[in-house]
Amino acid sequence: MQKLLPSFAMAAISVALTGCLQSEQQDAKVEINKNPYPSTYKTLPQQTTLIKNATVLTGTGTRLNNTDVLVVDGKISKIGENLSAAGAQEVDANGKWVTPGIIDVHSHLGVYPSPSVESHSDGNEMTSPNTSEVWAEHSVWPQDPGFQAARAGGITTLQILPGSANLFGGRGVTLRNVPSETMQGMKFPNAPYGLKMACGENPKRVYGSRKVLPSTRMGNMAGYRMAWAEATEYKRAWEKYEADYAAGKNPIAPVRDIELDTLKGVLDGDILIHNHCYKAEEMAMMIDLGKEFNYHSGTFHHAIEGYKIADKLAENGNCAAMWPDWWGFKMEAYDMVHENVAIVDAVKNSCAVVHSDSSSTIQRLNQEAGKVMYRANDNGFEIKPELAITWITSNAAKSLGLSDETGSLEAGKKADVVIWNQNPFSVYAQAEKVFIDGAKVYDRHDDKYQAKSDFLLGQR
Amino acid sequence: MKHFKLFKSSLIALALASSQASFAESFAITNATVHTVTEQGVLKNATVIVEDGKVIAINPTTVNADTVIDAEGKILTPGFIGSMNQMGLVEVGAVARSRDAGDKKADITFDASLAFNPRTTVIPYSRKGGITTNIVAPRGGDDMFKGQTFVADLSGEFDSVRVSNNNVIIDLGAKSKGSRASSLQKLQNKLEDAAKKLVKAKKSSNDKKDKKEAKEPSRETKVINALLSGDKALVAYADRATDLLALLKLKESYKLDLVFVGAADAVLIADDIAAAEVPVVMSALDNLPGSFDSLHTSLENAAKLTAAGVNVALTVDGDTHNLYQLRFHAGNAVANGLSREDALAAVTANVADAFNLDSGRVAVGKTADLVLWSADPFELSSSVAKIWINGKEYSTKSRQDKLRERYTTNSNMPRAYTK
Repeated sequence: MQKLLPSFAMAAISVALTGCLQSEQQDAKVEINKNPYPSTYKTLPQQTTLIKNATVLTGTGTRLNNTDVLVVDGKISKIGENLSAAGAQEVDANGKWVTPGIIDVHSHLGVYPSPSVESHSDGNEMTSPNTSEVWAEHSVWPQDPGFQAARAGGITTLQILPGSANLFGGRGVTLRNVPSETMQGMKFPNAPYGLKMACGENPKRVYGSRKVLPSTRMGNMAGYRMAWAEATEYKRAWEKYEADYAAGKNPIAPVRDIELDTLKGVLDGDILIHNHCYKAEEMAMMIDLGKEFNYHSGTFHHAIEGYKIADKLAENGNCAAMWPDWWGFKMEAYDMVHENVAIVDAVKNSCAVVHSDSSSTIQRLNQEAGKVMYRANDNGFEIKPELAITWITSNAAKSLGLSDETGSLEAGKKADVVIWNQNPFSVYAQAEKVFIDGAKVYDRHDDKYQAKSDFLLGQR
Repeated sequence: MKHFKLFKSSLIALALASSQASFAESFAITNATVHTVTEQGVLKNATVIVEDGKVIAINPTTVNADTVIDAEGKILTPGFIGSMNQMGLVEVGAVARSRDAGDKKADITFDASLAFNPRTTVIPYSRKGGITTNIVAPRGGDDMFKGQTFVADLSGEFDSVRVSNNNVIIDLGAKSKGSRASSLQKLQNKLEDAAKKLVKAKKSSNDKKDKKEAKEPSRETKVINALLSGDKALVAYADRATDLLALLKLKESYKLDLVFVGAADAVLIADDIAAAEVPVVMSALDNLPGSFDSLHTSLENAAKLTAAGVNVALTVDGDTHNLYQLRFHAGNAVANGLSREDALAAVTANVADAFNLDSGRVAVGKTADLVLWSADPFELSSSVAKIWINGKEYSTKSRQDKLRERYTTNSNMPRAYTK
């Protein structure tokens, strides 16, 4: 609140001034550039491609056998039997499976890269419980060899998030998994930003040990609420400025606050919440917190106890991004069940996502989803591959606000495609070819399509 | 009161007697596809007889057992063996008072088996992965020696520690403070000093037989002496090739029983490691250059080392709660070039050999740690059908199953009433 005082003072002065100088000309309008580090991503060289005779999991819940997929100009053009296209590069996918490009909604590649050295530990700005002002994209090291390894596992899109030390960890960024010298070269064009929030043990441990709020879960909630209250005032101040300006007045703009810009972005509906939150009671409160301050509580990440409140998550339109089996490292991760994703998914209008949060398992999200499917089926569920694939494709795209662009194989969507050597839910499955916007970015059997990080060049 | 006490102890005696009686019972597993992990390879339609916790016969001419279990052609393997984790020493990683794997002052004598909790929820959960036995490795403390490993089975019984203090753990390589050279030098000096003392002691005991007995060596020295005599193996966490080579040299000088853990660079010197017959305990899934010591990790390393003749044992990289995933790690190793037979050995016989366990194979005389699988043990879709530890069948039901059942059972009362 303190931070706002100067700007309110300024606003008061400005009202006074405009009061006496009605005829004064308007100053140039203060506009905030919402995209100061724009994407420079360009599609890699691509051509018309016809994938023949595959088992296709579309990502919309459908499985199509002996089906062809035609890719033209980087988009899915047609899906059907016996397709042909003049001049197309044909790929014989007989016996192989085709899925949408895999999407990981929770990665720290680039911000906690390999090698894990002090100089590259850039994922957690652990200096204040609210660091909404930091942006993960400013930490991304594009040479992280983990990006290449993830691509070999079929990852085409991934969200890089700040860590979970803070109540507000900062903005996440969604990347295309293409090699580039710059973060901007990987940035998913026009993808909404995410705001990382964190519940539970981590923030209260980090700041409690420093005798700074929060040291308790009630301290966590107080920290969020104070920040949202401040952001609400900030938003109001800007809206008043906009309105006054539109009315022909010459108001003085509120003092720019980079931290509050992000929170205001959430309140404006431009930035999506990605909330590290394990426990049922905490997720329920975070849903209400969103209602209290008029924003949507977004996606719960980790959500170990999602299964305890599956109905509530679906009713409120929350996605939950989960592991199949990590547990026991903290009290809030003690109540893991293998079927968590399946139970969350089983409710109507649900949005169950399988995520990695790991530079290792991001390479095998197909297996992570497979583990859930089989354990659930061992225990009374009847989940088929065409459903399980949605957890790492279309539902993940929904969580990132990218449903219209990627996450499923439908005419008009981006041609983000993986060709697997077999059913992707086998431990032996491997991605053979990976396409992003129709361009082949990885081929398991062609060294020409296996990128290598600068870091490893010449030493391995 | 006295009467009651007597009554109680006689009950215990009865319980003990009956448990021993059931122990002595024999059973036959018939019609199994037995992956013996011995020269016998895979036996189809095979019969395995278990008595007194041991495999006593395979394919006998007549089946003579108290119980017969028809395996219906399913795959029977040795129980999988975990290693180099803190199972039973850590219930919840971030709960200090549930952690007993380390102590700042832990040294080479640190015996963490005293803290082992067979009642941890991690154990029944890990049985879902077909794990029957585990080599527990404490984290230790500031010292480069992290203490000693111990072997525990996954029965969850109070007597499940099979061997305590069996090997010495040392952590070498990159350091946040100081130089890796100091650790290697310290190790070398300790071995050298102890070896000299042993020679001297032998000499003096020959020379002055009548003189008073030589001073009792310290506990620490005894452990070093056990390394020199080969009674204990030196289990070394090390990654860079230079560290591995330095250890191979020490092995040669002092005839050490050496085991490598991690060994990211092992592929660079695979032939040396194979020639020295040093087993490598590694994760099949490490493939990123986590540090400058581990630039050569790869999903294909397990296959490459095995092809070079190295005895590879797979482990789930320092993780305790996810040990159940070991079978999937083996499957991934197969997907990246390791043969199925070698992958199975890498989670059974090779681990047993590296740590001198009497299990890891389906063979007459071996401990009956056995798993019957619904299908291919490495596949995501398969599961454990039956698991025996020390010849006794155990359940794979865990706390996680109770939670799932609670939250998938319909009730008009709060879930807390569903038990």
